[in-house]
Amino acid sequence: MASNSDLVSDTQRTLYPYVTGTSVVALKYKDGILMAADMGGSYGSTLRYKSIDRLKPIGKHSLLGASGEISDFQEILHYLDELILYDNMWDDGNSLGPKEVHNYLTQVMYNRRNKFNPLWNALVLGGVKNGQKYLGMVNMIGINFEDNHVATGLGNHLTRPILRDEWHENLTFEEGVKLLEKCMRVLLYRDRSAVNKIQISKITEEGATLFPPYSLKTYWEFTAFKNPTVGAEGSW
Amino acid sequence: MFRNQYDTDVTTWSPAGRLFQVEYAMEAVKQGSAAIGLRSKTHVVLACVNKANSELSSHQKKIFKVDDHIGVAIAGLTADGRVLSRYMRNECINYSYTYESPLPVGRLVVQLADKAQVCTQRSWKRPYGVGLLVGGLDESGAHLYYNCPSGNYFEYQAFAIGSRSQAAKTYLERKFENFVGSSREELIKDALIATRESLQGEKLRSSVCTVAVVGVGEPFHILDQETVQKLIDEFEIVREDEPPAEPQPPAEQDAPADQGTGADQGAAAASPDVAPMDI
Repeated sequence: MASNSDLVSDTQRTLYPYVTGTSVVALKYKDGILMAADMGGSYGSTLRYKSIDRLKPIGKHSLLGASGEISDFQEILHYLDELILYDNMWDDGNSLGPKEVHNYLTQVMYNRRNKFNPLWNALVLGGVKNGQKYLGMVNMIGINFEDNHVATGLGNHLTRPILRDEWHENLTFEEGVKLLEKCMRVLLYRDRSAVNKIQISKITEEGATLFPPYSLKTYWEFTAFKNPTVGAEGSW
Repeated sequence: MFRNQYDTDVTTWSPAGRLFQVEYAMEAVKQGSAAIGLRSKTHVVLACVNKANSELSSHQKKIFKVDDHIGVAIAGLTADGRVLSRYMRNECINYSYTYESPLPVGRLVVQLADKAQVCTQRSWKRPYGVGLLVGGLDESGAHLYYNCPSGNYFEYQAFAIGSRSQAAKTYLERKFENFVGSSREELIKDALIATRESLQGEKLRSSVCTVAVVGVGEPFHILDQETVQKLIDEFEIVREDEPPAEPQPPAEQDAPADQGTGADQGAAAASPDVAPMDI
């Protein structure tokens, strides 16, 4: 059975991403999962879109955050919509929890990668079901794992070290948000594709809550910024 | 039910609105040897009567493990039952692979029922001639379902199918209200007693019956013959001692137990207890 990608050509494969979202950071806290991402969609090096929702609730028990190609993220949401719809149609008291959704996504991502037509995303899937907290990540080549805190993209390099030092079991909601803000602030300073409009969302046994977007306070009054050429006269 | 002009095809309705082929398939279930299922909040026990064709042959396997959390007992055309068990195992394993989570038994049962329904609406197919008692766990606890050749399925607290199942059902009807809170051991005991009812006079030995259990924290497994025989002995004694003396309190007592087992063994040695080939 020749697949479409054999008969047509490379134009049917994802070769590079166009509109991308940057890091997503998430952690487990006392009541569930906290997840943060900014609302930027970059078009290459241009910070083109500034109101993209990169965190979405899935079903009753999960939250999905995505970085990477936004159109692929939208397609994933479409798949998950169908998945949750069929799950609800059973109408039998059973429902797909975050672990099941994460594994489903892993299979989707890995299968696409095997066909050399990846969904160009790194996804964070968190949720709570029956008191069990779950937080996992899966990326475009199908690498997936679970942990107490995860991040995608530059977040992996810049924020995981912070989280490793400062995360502990039973963070309160306020502590969790402060920690996430610290991580997002570092990303805002250091990641060129970050925009200063972040969304935080949480998911607990009761359900998902997406907080309204807001901006982080930043500090630019360093003397080195004010006098950048001190110590190197003549430079700019 | 007698032969008539509307029963050749499964796709032919009778004027009375019946599909005779489907009903004949359900007859096949009634002819098979008995299978019994009961459940509590946390456990499901399946038991069946194993009748070998002759003393030389082994008995047919009628209880199948479908997954760690689901098992099925069949009555009727065992070949059809085997094929459906394979389908069920496949569905479970595929679901586990994709979601890393066990397939809820309620969903498996619906898929099975839909599969059976297809065979009642195709002129080139015939209905499956097997009734399935599916016992398994899902988020809401332990469940027992009965899947019919017609494509219907029902949930039960306790049920029995196959030949002489009515006797077992009568016993279960008396006791079922207590099953929800039963312990695992009580449930197995009730299953064995129900099995004995459908043997109708014949002695209950572990060589003629098979018992399987699944429960919260306990994967589905078939109990081995020794365990089953021990359980039978525990309550068989009560029955044997009833005719002579009444004041003896029921269940396990040491002195009468010795006599009981003695009598049991005597009887066992006397009758040609040639256990059918254990394959």
